[in-house]
Amino acid sequence: MSKKTKYIDPADRKTIPERIKDQLAAYRVPGYYEKFDYHWTMVIDLDRCNGCGSCTTACYAENNLPVVGKSEVGIGRHMGWLRLERYVEGEYPDVKVRFLPVMCQHCDSAPCELGCPVYATYHNQDGLNVQVYNRCVGTYTCATYCPYDVRRFNWYTYKWDTPLEQQLSPEVTIREMGIMEKCSFCIQRIRGAKDTAKDDGRRRVKDGEVSPACGQSCPTGAISFGDLNDPKSRVSILAKSKRRYNLLGDLNTRPSVIYLRRVQEPLHASAGHETGMAAAHNTIAEHGSTADTAHAIKDTHGKKTQDGGH
Amino acid sequence: MRIRTLIICFIVLVVTVLIGYKLGDTYLTGRTPVQPIEFSHVIHAGDNGIPCQYCHIYAERSRHSGVPNVRKCMGCHNVIKTDSPEIKKLKKYWDDKEPIPWVKVHNLPDHVVYPHKRHIKAGLQCTECHGDVASMPRVSRVSSLKMGWCLSCHMEKKVENGRDCWTCHI
Repeated sequence: MSKKTKYIDPADRKTIPERIKDQLAAYRVPGYYEKFDYHWTMVIDLDRCNGCGSCTTACYAENNLPVVGKSEVGIGRHMGWLRLERYVEGEYPDVKVRFLPVMCQHCDSAPCELGCPVYATYHNQDGLNVQVYNRCVGTYTCATYCPYDVRRFNWYTYKWDTPLEQQLSPEVTIREMGIMEKCSFCIQRIRGAKDTAKDDGRRRVKDGEVSPACGQSCPTGAISFGDLNDPKSRVSILAKSKRRYNLLGDLNTRPSVIYLRRVQEPLHASAGHETGMAAAHNTIAEHGSTADTAHAIKDTHGKKTQDGGH
Repeated sequence: MRIRTLIICFIVLVVTVLIGYKLGDTYLTGRTPVQPIEFSHVIHAGDNGIPCQYCHIYAERSRHSGVPNVRKCMGCHNVIKTDSPEIKKLKKYWDDKEPIPWVKVHNLPDHVVYPHKRHIKAGLQCTECHGDVASMPRVSRVSSLKMGWCLSCHMEKKVENGRDCWTCHI
């Protein structure tokens, strides 16, 4: 019954920190994903996000998320996989609101994966951090470890009222009480796209063929989704932008969600006006996207009126 | 005398256990449920040689193989063997415009995705999982349909990403 283990001399035996170091060295080093077909990545252009919240609604509809009600939301038990953070700067009328859609970042070195005692959350070969519901025992460890606060715990088994259960997606499991869940990058859609690709006799999914519900519903097209392994894909091109940044990048979680910084004038034009304008113009010089051009037009217009005033 | 009684008791015990096991296996495990109509695959798929996908039409193009609708049954049984008691049951469902409440034999949990389409397109035969249905008067589940059983085949056939959890679980 017992497996024979190879005897290693205690002197040659590696210490635990050394072993962890070795494991980390082999753990998804750069180039890891090139062995596989895909490295699913999402790029969110914050310059295009106007905070309408359709991504959140679409996510609720697509992934069978329960609506928990006011009292549950009040104690922080809402089930939205995608939340829209609002940052308000300044006071009325000189006010600016910034929006930041936050979903599971599908980190390459995810803290949640290290925490799970039953390996219910793990990294698959496509660069997705996935949650296996039937393996989850609900220790809440992953949600505690997650720096982005995107994991949601089912405190109850939610039921849908009679006509509403007809709109549930059969592609997605309905989770029960005691299960942790989170954004899956709409893996059922990825699976569907792979299925279509196989039917067509293609090896890979084409760029733009698969989009999660949030990306599909975004009216301004802020959310792009695709394969980072393909150098010609939309996300690969966008990921090279100088506006890119990762959420809480200093934690070195290496997220698969890339944000593109918003190009914006500073709020109080008096002090930082010149530098702000310079920064905006620099960004315009670097990229020629439509959003940036719109800003350029706005900026020149502002200058003109100023000149006229003087 | 005493030994003979003991032997008889032992034989009776063994026979009872065997019969009980057989009955329990047939009726209590849900492996061979009693269907609302005694539909015989032996007559249809066996003797008459109707291919599986003549009735289970979605197997090739969908996740589910699908149970044929009553119209499909009535398509033939409007004329064939209309006086049989089982066909009269079928006629009643047809006249009442109700679906037949078939009992699911191969019932997977909700968190398991089994696409029939992919398996059939990979060249798998129906009998490899469902057994020789054409010789079953009442359909019985021959495979365990447990995860180990799925994985053993996936590993044996070296399925691409076949061991990834999210290949089957969602």
